[in-house]
Amino acid sequence: MDLATLRDVTFTYAYAEMPALEGVTLQLQRGQLYGVVGINGSGKSTLCSLLRGLIPHFHQGTLEGTVEILGKDLGEWDAAELSRTIGCVFDNPFTQISGIKDTVFEEIAFGLENLGVSRSDMLDRVTSVSEQMGITALLRKNPNELSGGQRQKVAFASIIAMDSEVLVIDEPTSQLDPQSSHAVFEIIADLKARGKSIVLVEHKIDLMAQFADRLVVMRSGEVVAEGPTAQVLASPAMDAADVPRPEVTDLAFALEAVGKGLGCVPVTRREAEAAIATRMRGTQIHADRVA
Amino acid sequence: MSALSPEAASAPSGGTFDGVVSHGNWIRDMHPLNVAVVLASISLLALATPRPVGLVSGCVAFLGIAVAAGVGGSFARLYAKLVVGVGLVLFVLRAAFVHGNHVLFELGPLAPTWEGVREGTTFALVVMALCGALTLYFVLVPMKTFMLALELKGMPPQATYILLASFQAITDLGRSARTVMDAQKSRGIETEGNLWVRARAFVPILAPVFITALNQTEERAIALDARAFNSGIPHTHVLQLRPAPAWERAATALTAAACLATIGAGLLWT
Amino acid sequence: MPIALHDVHFAYPDSTPAVKGVDLTVERGERLAIVGQNGAGKTTTVKLMNGLLRPTRGTVTVDGMSTATRTTAQVARQVGYVFQNPDDQVFAGDVEAELTLMPRYLRWDAAFTAERVARAVEMTGIGRYFGSNPNDLPFPVKKFVAIAAILVGTCDYVILDEPTAGLDRPGTRQLVAMMDRLEDEGIAVVTITHDMRFVADVCPRVVAMADGTVIADGSAADVFADDDVLVRSQLQRLEVAQLARNLNLTDRATRIADVLPLIP
Repeated sequence: MDLATLRDVTFTYAYAEMPALEGVTLQLQRGQLYGVVGINGSGKSTLCSLLRGLIPHFHQGTLEGTVEILGKDLGEWDAAELSRTIGCVFDNPFTQISGIKDTVFEEIAFGLENLGVSRSDMLDRVTSVSEQMGITALLRKNPNELSGGQRQKVAFASIIAMDSEVLVIDEPTSQLDPQSSHAVFEIIADLKARGKSIVLVEHKIDLMAQFADRLVVMRSGEVVAEGPTAQVLASPAMDAADVPRPEVTDLAFALEAVGKGLGCVPVTRREAEAAIATRMRGTQIHADRVA
Repeated sequence: MSALSPEAASAPSGGTFDGVVSHGNWIRDMHPLNVAVVLASISLLALATPRPVGLVSGCVAFLGIAVAAGVGGSFARLYAKLVVGVGLVLFVLRAAFVHGNHVLFELGPLAPTWEGVREGTTFALVVMALCGALTLYFVLVPMKTFMLALELKGMPPQATYILLASFQAITDLGRSARTVMDAQKSRGIETEGNLWVRARAFVPILAPVFITALNQTEERAIALDARAFNSGIPHTHVLQLRPAPAWERAATALTAAACLATIGAGLLWT
Repeated sequence: MPIALHDVHFAYPDSTPAVKGVDLTVERGERLAIVGQNGAGKTTTVKLMNGLLRPTRGTVTVDGMSTATRTTAQVARQVGYVFQNPDDQVFAGDVEAELTLMPRYLRWDAAFTAERVARAVEMTGIGRYFGSNPNDLPFPVKKFVAIAAILVGTCDYVILDEPTAGLDRPGTRQLVAMMDRLEDEGIAVVTITHDMRFVADVCPRVVAMADGTVIADGSAADVFADDDVLVRSQLQRLEVAQLARNLNLTDRATRIADVLPLIP
């Protein structure tokens, strides 16, 4: 059973002139980390809302085509069951706080309370999640008084504590420093290793290259490419969608342009370093021979 | 487990997670509903006893309870503000405008009467006794423990959420007003200075601040859904109420019974 | 005449020190980036520059005048500050009202207002959203509305707090084009950012902060070359910079063009 199957899906928000998604056909498998990239307004967030069932349950509009989530038609899902099955982190960290809890600890526990998790499990989960996120120092603070970056970490921790089978995550690191961003990606990778299915929207392409199994590239509401990360990053779809490539991939293309092609397209620094190191050793040996 | 260390858990902040909240004071450690019963009984007794003696003793009793609970200072400050801001105003309005036979003095169109003063005093005292009970209750019992107590008695979580969120909204409005003031300063708009300067900066932001708050309700609803608020599963609670010991329950019942009996006796005699 | 911070200290009311002895000068027309971990004191430093905060010790002067003796509003007319979160700044019912807020308050005449608004709209590319309610706009657009609202003013210094957060490539291009125009007009731009690519590409001067102090002040190449600074400010090198270093090519690369000739 697939995570999601979309067949020729078009969605237009109520009062909008243009569809936000147009003719999207997509098959997402379980146990994978899907990265979704595209410029603002390309339909990434709408795709997230659809996978999470916020369309059509919360957002009004016209939905055409068929959407199946975990083998069941989206319309047949019970909204409450869907909210338990698919966890969702939204892009705006300022509106994801419950507003009724006066400590971060209780804020993170809120979702667990709603799921009826026992108190001892709750304490364990909140503790381990906050240790993973490095926010134990915040646990006694009021969530309504945190900075943007801190709120983003708390919002993320609150959702992953709920331990749902599927996670839809929209720009979880927009307010974070590089180190915290990396930590968030490590946690996402760890979730995937534990068998979760993840759909992740993110602009930080270097991190995507390193962590995502597959990439979905969107432009003007359409999916213009979907496939293994390395393959998609090397494809012209990236330019067409105006999405940057990892720096090392750009470096490889630049080398090729000046006639020093590496013979492969690296997407992570490790791969690039290995390819260039081999080249340098070759030149060294060659130079030695000449000498 | 550093964040849940025993030292931290015993902090009297009410923000403890591992174990039961204790404020180290038996009144403040009482079950929220027992506190409600006791304060309600005292208020009823104060209202039923011949005035104004009963009402004054009620107010004094509240102050006494606050002192015994170790919150005398904060309660007295809050209560003093209410007495001046609400009680005094109510008294003056009644005293000045109620007609009667014994005019005390005349000042232009105003002719306060002895009857007016008496009625004003009683009315202000009634309001102050009720205000006192409510104020004391929320000084003694944090909103969230009160709501938890109600929820455990079967109140739906949606109702407690709305109540808690409304209280939070008041704090949020204050905060967002301050934030917008900062934003205005950053745009060269004076918010520091005399009353006129402040008013000129403040009035235009009132509507937007409210509209922003309203706009957030939809996003709030989605955020709540993401946290499985409507999961259909009975909710559990990270916060725990201290189980009321037998003596506390007995004392509460006794107080209530004593107050009601006094009222009943009073009614029978008259 | 610069913005000058001399031995500036600042502690928040709960007495946690946020800035501890900062010396920093920002010249007119200059472009600089302040980098560092969350909580390093970056936002506090810029709020001290525009008078939203006043130092608990030391002095902050703007064009020779101390911020301590003037109201925030007075300082802010010289030093514009775009908040990190546009929701903290944008509050009018539509974009037009938002942009004309300052002109209306300062009673500018219609022609001058129109000229300033048109310039701000053009620089930020928000023309098509002029009649929209800012709350209905996507986060990055709202951010540009917040920037435009500041650019309407006639400040000589503009501070941008995390301008690239959540921006896509077209958005970043718009931002850089805007900064270029500000530079042409002789307006200084101070950015706080975590985006090292942005820093290396468009900011000739980089100030690294850690724990409330300035620990480095120089070019992006200088900052990325210094291991000690990177460790203390918990910054990460750009991918090409790290690659060049790991392969012993150079310590001072920040762009692909720096590395290209060094690879055989």
